[in-house]
Amino acid sequence: MNLKHTTAGLALAAGLSALGGAAAAQDCTTKIGAVLPTSVDWGRPIAETAQFAVDQVNAAGGAAGCQIEMVLRDTQVDPKVGVDAAKALVDLEGVKVLLGAVSSGVSMPILTSVTVPAGVMQMSCCSSSTAFTTLAEEGKDNDLWFRTFATTGVQSAMGAKVAQDQGYGSVAVLYKNDDWGQDMARLIAADLEAVGVEVTGTVAINDAQPSYRAEVTEALGGNPDALYLALYPVEGTSVVREWLSLGGTQNMIVANALKSDEFRENVGMQYLGNVLGTDTASPRSESADAFRAAYQERFGSEPNGPGLANSYDATMIALLAMEAAGPDADGAAIAAAVPRVTDPEGTPVPADTAGFEMAKGILAEGGTVLYQGATGNVRFDANGDVSAPAVIWAFTEDGVDEREYLSLDDVDAFIAGLK
Amino acid sequence: MIQHLVDGILVGSLLSLGAIGLTMVMHILRFANFSHAELLSLGAYAALVFDGVFAAILPPLAAQIGPLSMTGALALAVLASMAFTGASALVIDRLVFRRVRAKGGELSMVFASFGVALILRNAVGLIFGLHGQLYSKDIVFAVVLSRDPLLLVKPDQIAALAVALVLMLALHLVLSRTTFGYALRAVGENPGLAQVHGVNLTATIRWVWLIGGGLAAVAGIFYGLSYQITPVMGRDLVLPIFAATIVGGIGSIYGAVLGGFVVGIAQNLALVALPSGYSPSVPFLMILLVLLIRPQGLFGEGRA
Repeated sequence: MNLKHTTAGLALAAGLSALGGAAAAQDCTTKIGAVLPTSVDWGRPIAETAQFAVDQVNAAGGAAGCQIEMVLRDTQVDPKVGVDAAKALVDLEGVKVLLGAVSSGVSMPILTSVTVPAGVMQMSCCSSSTAFTTLAEEGKDNDLWFRTFATTGVQSAMGAKVAQDQGYGSVAVLYKNDDWGQDMARLIAADLEAVGVEVTGTVAINDAQPSYRAEVTEALGGNPDALYLALYPVEGTSVVREWLSLGGTQNMIVANALKSDEFRENVGMQYLGNVLGTDTASPRSESADAFRAAYQERFGSEPNGPGLANSYDATMIALLAMEAAGPDADGAAIAAAVPRVTDPEGTPVPADTAGFEMAKGILAEGGTVLYQGATGNVRFDANGDVSAPAVIWAFTEDGVDEREYLSLDDVDAFIAGLK
Repeated sequence: MIQHLVDGILVGSLLSLGAIGLTMVMHILRFANFSHAELLSLGAYAALVFDGVFAAILPPLAAQIGPLSMTGALALAVLASMAFTGASALVIDRLVFRRVRAKGGELSMVFASFGVALILRNAVGLIFGLHGQLYSKDIVFAVVLSRDPLLLVKPDQIAALAVALVLMLALHLVLSRTTFGYALRAVGENPGLAQVHGVNLTATIRWVWLIGGGLAAVAGIFYGLSYQITPVMGRDLVLPIFAATIVGGIGSIYGAVLGGFVVGIAQNLALVALPSGYSPSVPFLMILLVLLIRPQGLFGEGRA
């Protein structure tokens, strides 16, 4: 009985504080900034999804006591334009939270030359470069940087998992000699060592070479149990055909870039039976389904474009953190409040208006919440990175087939086990 | 080590075939033809089409020859493609280079050749698509020639080497034993003087294009057979072929043959000493080295 009363009292208090928030929100407007490539066709839906989240929060009475206005600027996927836009938002509009950008090449200069010097929190939906992780490890992001898009680290960890599950004792790594490939090679080598698989060699593959014979011969020299390929289809086809013709093993682990019909057809299914690939996946959780339904209702189509769920979560988490940090908080305080809204131990809150209202109540009492978003239970590590659910797939006669699905928790647990 | 050496010789034979045509054009027409490597991809795609046609007309030809991935249809397609590519080179000369030659200087020719390369490459991409294609999807496994030291060679590559050597020998005989060969060399030495002595300059130039195009087609087809056919293969090969030409000495056909092998071997051996990411720099380094130490190339003669 007693307990019931207490619960009722709590609910009432929560309701009252929500009402109070709504009343206060009538008087003021807080601006947040968004720098997104709205001039490209896939960029506009990302911005619209962010606005969708803002509208839901405003329906719950806004954040930190005020209605939220998202001031949107176009980056044109150009670092110069993006930096100018971000500067205008920070200096002229006085925003404390900046959403964006999409491309790593745009987000990075904004982070280093605008948001970090001004002490503004930056939350990107879609930048995947590990350069941000490095920057954060060096402490140069002042803990103001977050992103809701998984890095290549998830892929490499899954590659190591496949090697472990298949019982490969040694693996040779062939990687594309560009930013992405070098990233992958570095990560996969470390992850393979971490699960006790010997790396017999890492060989860079430059595209557009007349022959990959020498590179393949070098990889073959270590006599590995399996091959790890972080390559694109064109050079991947040449390299794998060369590899097979020289008698290399058909045990292969491939990154998502080789999930391609061109590669499958030109190498031939008869040689690809032992190939397992990795990829990140969209979450299969209730909260993700709820987002899809809500998106469908609002926009009349499925959220199939790139980065939509990530953009929604970036916006929601930023606004939850603003709420948690309270009125007139600066960027650093808002950034510091992010763990309070993504706390695995906290009360789960769904990603919608009702969820935001609920979170308001809990946060007002000093509690913590676990935001269950469109990309699942988002959890940032010390560098502001998130992981993502993953799938392990194999080639079939007419495409690819999923072999194993790993939820966010499975992926996180595996990655934690590597460290 | 031995493996790298053998691989280098096998790759080198393809570069040599490409370099022979380039060095002839560079010597006789006196300009750096950056579109020459596109003739390789033109030849490779032409063979792809002819191969399909022949295999459709005469199905027995679609069977593979011995241990090779090459079929009878493709062997015929090589001949057809040589003729087609040679003729294409001639048409390109008619349409572009001859007109520029009449009006502009050497530099105009070089720029024109860049333009021709872009047009050819993109036309091929437009027609056949940008993805890689193969003559045969079967993978021919390498034969183990020796276990220790490990030496693996693909039958296709041996065939390519043999064909390349036969073609080079034939060319050598033509150049050194026939009147036509003398005429060709005379034009290379001094076009004006050769003309005075009764050599038909126009006809000779025509032959230069035909031979250069034909050899380029063979190189392109064997390259496609060993790796894959893509519209950008010309762009990928232009640098090694230029390096082979410059190393051998511009104008020297024997130099081009040797230069091809030298570049092929150096590129393969580089991996022993350099990290794998740096092997594309080898042709550049070789060009630099030759230009610094022996600007006329290994076999070239200084020109006044």
